[in-house]
Amino acid sequence: MGERLRAVLPSVFSVLLALAVCWVFIALTRDAETATGAYLQMLRGGLGDWPQYFEGGRLAVLTRPLGEAAIKAALLLLTGLSVTVAFKVGLFNIGAQGQMLVGALAAAVAGAQLQLPAVLHIPVAVLAACVAGGLWALIAAALKLSRGVHEVISTIMLNWVAVSLVDNWLSVGPLRAGAGTHLSTTGTAEIAASAQLPRLLGEMSRLHLGFPLALAVALAIWVWLSRLRSGFETRAVGLGAEAARAAGIPVVRRTAQAMGLAGALAGMAGAVLVLGTEYRYPGGLGAPYGFDGIAISLIGGNHPLGVALSALFFGALRAGGTRMQLLGVHKSYPELIQGLALLFVAGRMVWLSLLRPRKVAPMAPTRQPEASPEVPRA
Amino acid sequence: MISLRHIHKRFGAVTALDDVSLDIGTGEILALVGENGAGKSTLMNVLYGLYQADSGEVLVKGQPVRLRSPRDAIAQGIGMVHQHFMLVPTLTVAENVVLGREPSRWGRMDMDRACQEVAATCERFGFKLDPRARVDTLSVGSQQKVEIVKALHRGAQVLILDEPTAVLTPQESDDLFRVARGLAAGGRTVVFISHKLREVLSVAERVAVMRRGRLVAEVRAANTRPEELAALMVGESRVPQAEAQAYHPPGGEKLLEAKDLRARGEDGRPALQGVSLEVHAGEIVGIAGVDGNGQRELAEVLTGLRTLDGGGGTLLGAPLTGLTPAEARRRGVGHVPEDRLWRAVVKAMTVEENVALGRQTQAPFARGLQVDFAGRRERTAALLKAYDVRPPDPEVPLQALSGGNQQKVVVARELDAGPKLLVVVQPTRGLDIGAVAQVQAKLREARDKGAGVVLVSLDLEEVLALADRVYVFFEGRITGTFTRPEFDEREIGRRMLGTRGEVAHG
Repeated sequence: MGERLRAVLPSVFSVLLALAVCWVFIALTRDAETATGAYLQMLRGGLGDWPQYFEGGRLAVLTRPLGEAAIKAALLLLTGLSVTVAFKVGLFNIGAQGQMLVGALAAAVAGAQLQLPAVLHIPVAVLAACVAGGLWALIAAALKLSRGVHEVISTIMLNWVAVSLVDNWLSVGPLRAGAGTHLSTTGTAEIAASAQLPRLLGEMSRLHLGFPLALAVALAIWVWLSRLRSGFETRAVGLGAEAARAAGIPVVRRTAQAMGLAGALAGMAGAVLVLGTEYRYPGGLGAPYGFDGIAISLIGGNHPLGVALSALFFGALRAGGTRMQLLGVHKSYPELIQGLALLFVAGRMVWLSLLRPRKVAPMAPTRQPEASPEVPRA
Repeated sequence: MISLRHIHKRFGAVTALDDVSLDIGTGEILALVGENGAGKSTLMNVLYGLYQADSGEVLVKGQPVRLRSPRDAIAQGIGMVHQHFMLVPTLTVAENVVLGREPSRWGRMDMDRACQEVAATCERFGFKLDPRARVDTLSVGSQQKVEIVKALHRGAQVLILDEPTAVLTPQESDDLFRVARGLAAGGRTVVFISHKLREVLSVAERVAVMRRGRLVAEVRAANTRPEELAALMVGESRVPQAEAQAYHPPGGEKLLEAKDLRARGEDGRPALQGVSLEVHAGEIVGIAGVDGNGQRELAEVLTGLRTLDGGGGTLLGAPLTGLTPAEARRRGVGHVPEDRLWRAVVKAMTVEENVALGRQTQAPFARGLQVDFAGRRERTAALLKAYDVRPPDPEVPLQALSGGNQQKVVVARELDAGPKLLVVVQPTRGLDIGAVAQVQAKLREARDKGAGVVLVSLDLEEVLALADRVYVFFEGRITGTFTRPEFDEREIGRRMLGTRGEVAHG
C-alpha cells in the first residue's frame, strides 16, 4: 500500500462512516426508506438531477444543482485553504470566519464605491478583500510573534471583534445602504455590475468565476508548498521552528507571510460570496464558512489538493441538503455529516492502527529497527 | 526467570530481530550491548510489550506469556525505564509514581497515602527522594530514579534500563550502578542496554552482544576486555580507535578572534562572562568543561543563534556582533548542534529535505525560486552512501532513522557545505563505536582540508583525542589554555572545576 494512499484512507473512511451514521440517524427517527430517499435527493441536489434529465428534462436540471454545489465548494475551499496554509507554518487559524467577514465587507465597499471597467473592478475588489482579510490575520500573527499570544485565542477573539465591527456597526450604521435616509434596510449598497463575478453558464446556472478562481488558488498553493523554496521553508518552520531558525530560515517573516496569506484566502472567500452571489454585504455571512474551513482542511488532510476534494464533496452535499426537505428531513444533515467526518478524522490514530496488519510488516517500507514507536506525520 | 525464545521481528524490509534467544536469570545484572540499530532496544521493547514479535515466544518462570502491551509486561513483573523519561514534569514525585493506580478516598486521590507509599518504596530500595518534590525541580539523575521507583512500585522484578547513563554525569552514573547492584543483591534483575563498554564491564555480570539483529555472543564480564567486546559488536577484529595524532600548529589564517564575549543563558543568567579566544584555519579547538559553564552559549553565539550582551570581535572577516543564523551560514559557519531533534533536523520531513535544510536556497537544492528535486535527490543519495547511512533512502522521514544515522545525516550535511569554521557540540553523544570513529575521522578530515573546528564536548577524552588546542571553561570564563602536545589531563580537570586566578596564558 502506497504512502500516499495510506494518507488518504483515513479521510475516506471517516466520510463514509459519517454518511453511514447519519443514515442510521434518519432511519431511526423515520425509516430506512426515507433515509435512503433523502440521500438520493441530496445527490440529485448536489450532483444534478440525472433521472429527470434522462426522462427528457432540460440541461438546466443538471447545471443548476452542479452550479450551486460549485458555489458552496468555492467558499469552503478558500476558507479550507486558509486553515491549511496557517497549519503549514504551525498555526491553528480559527479566525477564518472573521477574516472572511472583513474581506466580504471590503469587497462590498470596493464593489459599490469604485467606478471601474470590469477587467479592473473585479481584481481590485477581490484584492481589497484579500488585503482586509490578510491584515486581520496579521493582527493575530503580530501578537503571536511579538508577545507570544496564542493564535487560537487571538483569532477567536478577533472573530468577535469582526462581528461587532462589521455586522453590529458598519453594515447597519455608516456603510448601510441608504444611510442618512429613512430607509431601514440592513447591509451595504449593491455593488456595480462591473464588479459582479461573471456567470459562466448564463441563465442555466448561478455558477460564476469564483469557482475556477478557487480551484486555481488551490493549485497555486499546492505548487507553492511543494515546489517552491519559500514553501519548503514555510513547512520547515511549521514542523520544526528551532531547526528552521538554525538553518537560517527567516522564521518570523515566513510565519507572518503564511498567516497573512491565510487571512487573504479567507478574505477572498468573502469577496467570492459578495461579488459572486450576494452582490452586496447583506449584514452577515449567512453561514459559518470560516469554521467549516477547519473541518474541510482537516478532512482534506491539510493538503491543498485534498482540501479541494473535500470542499467539492461537501459543497455538493451542502448544496443538495436543501432537497432533503422534500422528504421532510432537515437540511442540516450535511453539516452533521461534515462534523462527524471531522470527529472521525480526529481519531486518525485509531484508523491507522486498524489499518495496520496484525502479523506481517507494517506500512513503512523501510524502517530502522530502533526507531521510536510509530508517530504518524502531522 | 525470563526466557526469550527464537524471537523474530521485521519492520518492513528490515529484519530487526533474527532468531534471538536469551535467558535472563533472577538477581543478575545483564548488559545488552551492540551498535545503533543492532536490535537491543527492539528486543527489550518486545519484552516490555511495546512491540509484538512476529514469531517466537517469551517465557516467564517457565510459562509462555503474551505481552501485548506494557500493561501485560508490568503484570508479569517487567518494568522499563526509557532513555527519554515518561514523567509529568509538573507533578510531584509521588504523583508520578502512583499515576494510573492512585490510592483514593471517597473518590479523591489520597495524597498523604500516596506519599507514604512512595516514601516506603524509596526507603525499601534505598532511594533518597522527596515524594512531595515536583519532578521538574529535580536533576536528570533524580528523575531517572523516579522512573526506577515507579517501576519498582508497580512490582517490577525485572528492570530494563535503556541507555541509562547517556544523560547522566559520571557521579550520577556511579550512583546508578550502586543502585543496580543493590537491586540485584535483593533478588531483582537488572538489564542494561548500553554501548559504553567500560561501564558495562564494570557493572554487569553477564554481557549479551547483539549485531545486526542477532545475538552473537554471551560473555561473562569478569574475564572480558573492552576491546574484545568492541570486536564482537562491530564484527571485525580491528577496532577503529582514536589514534594519537600529530601536532598541528595554529599557523593558518585567523578565522575567529573573539574578545570579551558576554551573553546570557536560556534562564537569563550570565553564561558568558568575558570570553576571549581565537580559532585558526586548520586546527581543532576543543572547549572543555563541566556541563553548563557557558560552552553551549559560546556555540550559539558563534552560529548567530544567541545575541551578545557585550564584547565582540571578528568572525570570518566581519564583526561578530549582530550575527544571524543566515549570516553565519553565508560566511561559512557550519553547525552540528547538541540537541539534534530540536535544532538540527525536522524529524517529520524526509532525509533529503533535511539535507537541504540550511542550503535550501542554493544549488543543487534550489534552482531559482524552485526546489531542485533531482539535484537534491542526487546529492542526498551520494552523501548517504559516503557516510554509510542506513537505510540509504533519501525519501524516508528522518524520524525513521536511528539516532546514530540521524547524526551522520547532520554531519554529512554540514561538512558537505564546505564550512570554513565548523562549530560542533557533543557530536558523538549516544553514537556507537563505529559511528563515533567515523564522525571523528570526518572532523579531522575537515581540519586537514583547512577548516577551523570548534569542538564543544563534555567528554574530556574526546576533546583530548581530537583537539589541537583546548580552552577550559568554568562559570563562563576561560580558566586555562592548553596546546598539544602539552595536554595535562589532571591540570585540565582542575581548571574545569574552577581554579581561577591561576589563569596561566588564557
